[in-house]
Amino acid sequence: MCLLELEALVYRYPGRAELALAGASLTIPPAARIAVIGSNGSGKSTLLLHANGTLRPASGQVRFAGKPITYDRRGLLALRRQVGIVFQNPDEQLFSASVAQDISFGPLNLGLDARAARRRVEEAAELCGIAHLLDRPTHALSGGEKARVALAGVLAMDPQVLIADEVTGGLDPWMREQVFAIFDRLVRQGKTVVLSTHDLAAARRWADRVAFMQAGRVLLVAPPAQLFADRAALAATGLDQVMV
Amino acid sequence: MDWIDRYAYSNRIRTLDPAGKAGLALAVILLCLALNRPAVGLLAAGWMAGLLIGWAGVPPRIVLRVLAGEGAFLALAVGGVAISVHLASALPADATWAWRLGPLWFATSPAMLELAATLAARALGCAAAMSFLALTTPLVDLMDLARRLHMPPLLIDLATLIYRFVFELLGTLERMTIAQGNRLGYVNLRRGMASAALLASRLWIEAYRRSQRLQVALEGRGYAGELRVLPNEYRHPRSVIWLGMAVAATLLAAGGVLR
Repeated sequence: MCLLELEALVYRYPGRAELALAGASLTIPPAARIAVIGSNGSGKSTLLLHANGTLRPASGQVRFAGKPITYDRRGLLALRRQVGIVFQNPDEQLFSASVAQDISFGPLNLGLDARAARRRVEEAAELCGIAHLLDRPTHALSGGEKARVALAGVLAMDPQVLIADEVTGGLDPWMREQVFAIFDRLVRQGKTVVLSTHDLAAARRWADRVAFMQAGRVLLVAPPAQLFADRAALAATGLDQVMV
Repeated sequence: MDWIDRYAYSNRIRTLDPAGKAGLALAVILLCLALNRPAVGLLAAGWMAGLLIGWAGVPPRIVLRVLAGEGAFLALAVGGVAISVHLASALPADATWAWRLGPLWFATSPAMLELAATLAARALGCAAAMSFLALTTPLVDLMDLARRLHMPPLLIDLATLIYRFVFELLGTLERMTIAQGNRLGYVNLRRGMASAALLASRLWIEAYRRSQRLQVALEGRGYAGELRVLPNEYRHPRSVIWLGMAVAATLLAAGGVLR
């Protein structure tokens, strides 16, 4: 069964000549660890922005639980309840100077009352290991702390799929391991995590499926052991030059 | 600004309901303005300093620094009220004391000095009350209060975003300035002007792109036109009310209303 299906997506940014996505497809099952790899400009972020309806494809289809998503307000709200997306730079996601208030934003938008929202804030903070930071001002946090607050802000909405667009990029190795531990906890709860990353070693070690993107297409999707063992495929994609 | 913000978050009465603290500050300001006597202003400043040190636990050094800064600013401002300057040919008759310096007379009188002292004390009392609020109450709590008082959500959202991103923008500005400096962008005045102009336009574009990305992130979390957040939880001790009454009573006494 597939939870989220991105099928043959074509997308061109306004004012650009080349296609950002040229028929990219990716199927996302429940309780999976998926890593999306590919060079800068290969279309990873653009593909993932289609997963929660931020971008609308020129052609192709996005389906959640078998149904094509709709782009009206209600359709998008329903989708975003299920598909959460978190980005690399937390300073572009945290809008409030209060950590607790920032995390409460998503739950309140879901229509939860104050009590339920407060419980969600506490659970998400606990999950991300930032319960001790709830009362601190956002601008006094370190980069790693802010990254986990941004993650908690999305997880407080309790999505089925977490899209993490290069969130491990700017983190030190210890903080990165903590973030992977959070991802693993989510997968154990039956949720799916899709991580786009330049960290091939982490993709190989953590993911149970790796999707390789090039020039706006998903060229290969395979378990890491298989993908990284396929010498012909590695040579064809240029991945062999950067393998660790 | 940075350190005021730090004390606002770390002081001992941070978790008190902002309504109580704002009410106290507002009452002090109103009494200073209404009673209009030097003793009232000075007493108000004394109370505020005392409460900041004794109640909120802000270090005396910091409180003195804030009050001294405000005092210096006020002294400059009321200097023009205390001393008048005249051409040598036109010294006014009501000048009690006058000093001649070249072609000019500097003149003053008891009435002018009293007026200046009254003004300075009144303004110092008000400024101290504002400092009390600023040093004990983070802006997020004041915005909570504004929300409770039914301020338009648009204004509160704007204030939320400005307060959050002013620190970000300052950080970006600093990094960009350093990067330009490393490439000798400020080697002389001419290059410096050009660099500053480039920086300003670049910063504007950067701020705009950030706002776009923030919009995407917020919409992903269900943003529907309003930044709704949970209110913070506060303590509501009775002591605030007693303290407020004590402050008001002493100010009224100093103002000659209570006898």
